[in-house]
Amino acid sequence: MLKRFIVVLIISMLLTSAAFAGEVLNFVSTQMEPAAEQKFAKGVLIKGFTDETGIEAEFITMPNYNDMFIRLSAEVEAKKVTTSLVCELHSGLDLMNAKGLFDDLTGIVLPNRTFIKALEDYSVIAGKKVYVPLMQATYVMVVNKKAFDYLPAGLTAEDVTGASEKWSYDALLSWSKNLNDAFKGPKLGFPMAPKGLWHRFLHGYIHPSFTGYQAAAFDSLRAVKIWEYLKELLPYVHPSSSIWAAMDEPLLKEEILVAWDHTARVKNALIEKPEDFAIVPVPCGPQGRGYITVAVGLAIPVDAPQKDNAIKLIDYLTKPDVQVKILENVGFFPIVKEAEGAIPVGPLKILATGVLAQSGAADSVMVMIPSLGAKGGEFTATYRDVFTKIVVEGADIETTITTAADKLRAIFEEVGVPLL
Amino acid sequence: MISFSRREKKWMPYLLFLPVLIYLAGFVGYPLIKALGIAFTSEAGKLSFENFITLTRDYTFWKALKNTLLFLIIIVPLQVILAFLLALFVNSRFKGYMTVLYIISIPLALSDVSAALMSYNIFTSHGFLNKFLMSLGIIETPIYFFGLGLSSRAFWVIVLTELWRATPLVFVILLASLQMISKDYFEAADVFGFSSWQKFFYITLPLTMPSLQSALLIRTLFAFQIFSVVWLLSGRDIPILAGEVYYQQAELNNFRLAATYGFIIALICILISWAYITFLKTKHLEA
Repeated sequence: MLKRFIVVLIISMLLTSAAFAGEVLNFVSTQMEPAAEQKFAKGVLIKGFTDETGIEAEFITMPNYNDMFIRLSAEVEAKKVTTSLVCELHSGLDLMNAKGLFDDLTGIVLPNRTFIKALEDYSVIAGKKVYVPLMQATYVMVVNKKAFDYLPAGLTAEDVTGASEKWSYDALLSWSKNLNDAFKGPKLGFPMAPKGLWHRFLHGYIHPSFTGYQAAAFDSLRAVKIWEYLKELLPYVHPSSSIWAAMDEPLLKEEILVAWDHTARVKNALIEKPEDFAIVPVPCGPQGRGYITVAVGLAIPVDAPQKDNAIKLIDYLTKPDVQVKILENVGFFPIVKEAEGAIPVGPLKILATGVLAQSGAADSVMVMIPSLGAKGGEFTATYRDVFTKIVVEGADIETTITTAADKLRAIFEEVGVPLL
Repeated sequence: MISFSRREKKWMPYLLFLPVLIYLAGFVGYPLIKALGIAFTSEAGKLSFENFITLTRDYTFWKALKNTLLFLIIIVPLQVILAFLLALFVNSRFKGYMTVLYIISIPLALSDVSAALMSYNIFTSHGFLNKFLMSLGIIETPIYFFGLGLSSRAFWVIVLTELWRATPLVFVILLASLQMISKDYFEAADVFGFSSWQKFFYITLPLTMPSLQSALLIRTLFAFQIFSVVWLLSGRDIPILAGEVYYQQAELNNFRLAATYGFIIALICILISWAYITFLKTKHLEA
């Protein structure tokens, strides 16, 4: 009886493992992780690819860079690579490449598409073509058109939408005051919840705008002005900002009229009420109009089991029509010029117009998220903690930023990345 | 009919629970031991108290500890008192008591996330409460119950949400205990002329003590796990221990500090459980 039991157990185990051992292209991604986006990736992107090529692929999400790095480095070290394609932010791909986890994609031919040059240049690191750009995103300001009626004297809606030099952080403060007085409560919002992207505003927008750098001038006199400014702005920021991770809902409920957030996180507001909102560039500071470009790319691990099929998947995902589908469903913008003309008139066109106005501003200071890998969390937490200490709890500015600057320098030094 | 040899009969029970044992050892035991090891491992990979030192130097840790204990001290006694009163009320078996029982038990079916979202929709600046008060003309502008610089208000919203969400659990335990008390005790008490207070203190309370002990233990341990409600209603404006475990692991990728936070929570829970079991030991009536 015992023998029979063991035999049945072994047969069932073999059958189960056989069912999972099919020849499938594993596409591992830290992007498109929310449930709705996963549904789109699996049901539209992967299905479309399989229908077109007959190649079976599986979309596997990873919650963050760290988990992806652990999986990939373990596979490469064990010489049992199961992942054939990786999708990650530029910063993560840069770091994993430094660990020797990716193939050189130089010479890969993708006909009938022109990649945006800046992104194409970023994908080549130390002469090696590390990844093929897949999509890009940024963070913008969303304005309920009602709010334009309360602009401060001397500032017009055209100044704001056209990124004129009058559209400054001081103008934002005056505008927020006007809105607060008119609506008897704060109408400016930021995604300050732990899952929100508030830290990106601090290091990638206001810091470059005031100091010209993300971290290099963290304890400078120019940086002191940032915290003084934020202390002044705080009374006009909606208190619930600290529990909002995305600004689309509060905008739709008109709890706020002006907000800053990632394009993907305000997309729903525009889709639901395209007539109500305008996407405008961020304000400028004394050193220019700091903004982040988020580049997402596709890389092939060394010893990938299905390298040729992975190239076919890259080819499919960067086709202009597929790029537009990605924009429609995920809110990330195309990286091939041919896709720009294919964006239909409507909410996404509004979003694209705002993004282009921001990147095309004469005083724009474009920055990328620093490639700090697992230390990225510590980096962003430093900015958030300084904000809480100085602006919310009233700690001394100079003492706080001096201590935090040492911490930031140590993080960059530890990772071996130049201070930005 | 399958027949087993004597040898097979001897091993069969062990074989049957072996899968569960392997599962528990692999998915509970191993991570527990691993987490313990991580908590006592320095960044350089050596056995040390480095993580504990880092934690105690972090001002958020002390805030999180203080907030967690404050929630515990306020929520647990209030829940027990409220649950006891409700259980006594329902146990009086008035007409329609079953309906009241069902109404009180509704939050048992709710997840903590649902409860927090319901609370958010009531108390947010555009929520039901503000709209109701504004429609009555009591207030002109919304009252902000949570958010930046309003953590003391948010604290009480969380207390209220937790009271509503988790009191029924204590209530059910206490009601079951009350229903098991024999009526003979109360009839005898009537013969001796006991007042209602005397009946409560000399019969009801001692006989429900074992259940009360369990309820207190469960609620206290659950209070240390309080996370979703605080996270959704205050973000990190009110840091708490369980929230910091998540924050360190998921947001900062600092698994060493996350494991250290986890170890501290476990240690406090063990100490409190020991205190409950030791000091609330039931005195048997018929020794």
